[in-house]
Amino acid sequence: MAIEGDKDAPVHFDRHAPGYIHEFESTTHELHGKCPIAWSDTYGGHWVASGYKEVFEIARNRTLLSNHHDLEDETSPYRGISIPRPDSGQKTRGGFLEMDPPEQQDYRRILDPYLSPAAVARWKPMAEDLTRAALDARIEEGSIDFVDDLANIVPAVLTLALMGLPLTDWEIYCEPAHAGVYTPPDSPDIVRVGQLGMAMGMRMTESIMALRAHPRPGMVDALIQGRVCGQPLSDADIRDTLMLLIGGGFDTTTALTAHSLEWLSEHPGERDRLRNDLGGLLDSATEEFLRFYTPAPGDGRTVAADYELSGRQLQEGDRLWLSWAMANRDPSVFPDPDAVCLDRGANRHTSFGLGLHRCIGSNVARATFKTMVTGVLQRMPDYVCDPAGSVHYDTIGVINGMKHLPATFTPGPRLGAGFDETLAWWQERIDEQQMAAPVTRASAGTRQQ
Amino acid sequence: MRVHVDETKCQGHTLCAMAAPDIFELSDFDGHAQAVAGDVPPHLEDAVKAAASTCPEQAIVITG
Repeated sequence: MAIEGDKDAPVHFDRHAPGYIHEFESTTHELHGKCPIAWSDTYGGHWVASGYKEVFEIARNRTLLSNHHDLEDETSPYRGISIPRPDSGQKTRGGFLEMDPPEQQDYRRILDPYLSPAAVARWKPMAEDLTRAALDARIEEGSIDFVDDLANIVPAVLTLALMGLPLTDWEIYCEPAHAGVYTPPDSPDIVRVGQLGMAMGMRMTESIMALRAHPRPGMVDALIQGRVCGQPLSDADIRDTLMLLIGGGFDTTTALTAHSLEWLSEHPGERDRLRNDLGGLLDSATEEFLRFYTPAPGDGRTVAADYELSGRQLQEGDRLWLSWAMANRDPSVFPDPDAVCLDRGANRHTSFGLGLHRCIGSNVARATFKTMVTGVLQRMPDYVCDPAGSVHYDTIGVINGMKHLPATFTPGPRLGAGFDETLAWWQERIDEQQMAAPVTRASAGTRQQ
Repeated sequence: MRVHVDETKCQGHTLCAMAAPDIFELSDFDGHAQAVAGDVPPHLEDAVKAAASTCPEQAIVITG
């Protein structure tokens, strides 16, 4: 007799469907109850790992799952992390997230010293000042769009700073980085979004060439100087890597910040509790919002060896979806999983992934999120979001994001220079003080604040 | 109580250093953790247990 969720009795799981956002919780608990590892008939057939135990067991298994995206062999099942595979028609892969060791580990070694806790701590004053300037721009008006006016801006500028790219370029990268995620292929806007993406790619290529000619510190310089498997990287390799870092650095942090601010507006008592005890609650609240909203809901893999998992037979070449979002709602690990508990303990959520491919920007994400939320709570403590104006992504298959989140609040005074002036001031500091240089001290370690 | 971080499992999530900053320190280069002292002072035992329970990779080993 066929077992539900096996290949001869598949489930139908479509996380790209427009209705999925509304059915997420019921779908998740149905899968947890019946088949925490299930074969779905969607997108050519693939496994869906939704149970925490199953995700934890396989995501960290270095020989079982492969991230490799084979660009040479069209018939290869090794298709990287996207399910279904993107129909861009271009032969590109998603940077080191679509590689296995040893290549992937070489990239991580090149970039880690720019993204470690110690490296990221150096950017705290700039993140705070950018947040101050972004809030200043709206504070006298008493109204703001938390996506357009804050959460799109600070992560974008900070990511460019870490890369060693001109800060004022953030606008060239910002809209395509978000719209490229949320615009479906059949949208009338897709041509315009495609053109924005082309402009972004061209600017990136120009910047790589400029930095080859006139080096300045940052992750682009690290990629130019670095060696992967003993070889220097081509401009195309570097561009793929930068696209990955932008994709990982912009939309995810924006998504987390917007959802969290929306939730706090809907729960004013909890918002006041957090505001009055940022020192005691901000860390756990951040992890809880990460768990609950899981900005990047999952990653695809290819099964690289036959394996039995919870009574199902994974076979080499099968495609598989690791659902971080569904694992994060598993009641066997997270009591009352569909509730947000700002002081939740033992919160070993999977929102930054598990294993070798742990989000390389997790320290930047946390720091930027905390800075933005702190700024809002301190300067706009009575803000109220307008549900009629808030816009969630239609489909959440790639990023669980928001396009707009308007809010009103009691106006307050500006505290400093305007945004453009602030950017120019920080650009000077970055250039003078080589702020985007890697961490090179070989000390034993840095205690986190 | 004794504690150490299994370096073959740690991926640098940094949550242990949030839970028990006096016990776990993070590499400047990649944020991977190590325990600064194997022996845990009694008043930090709860914090170390919290760190172990929050580690996404379950890389923290408590003995004794």
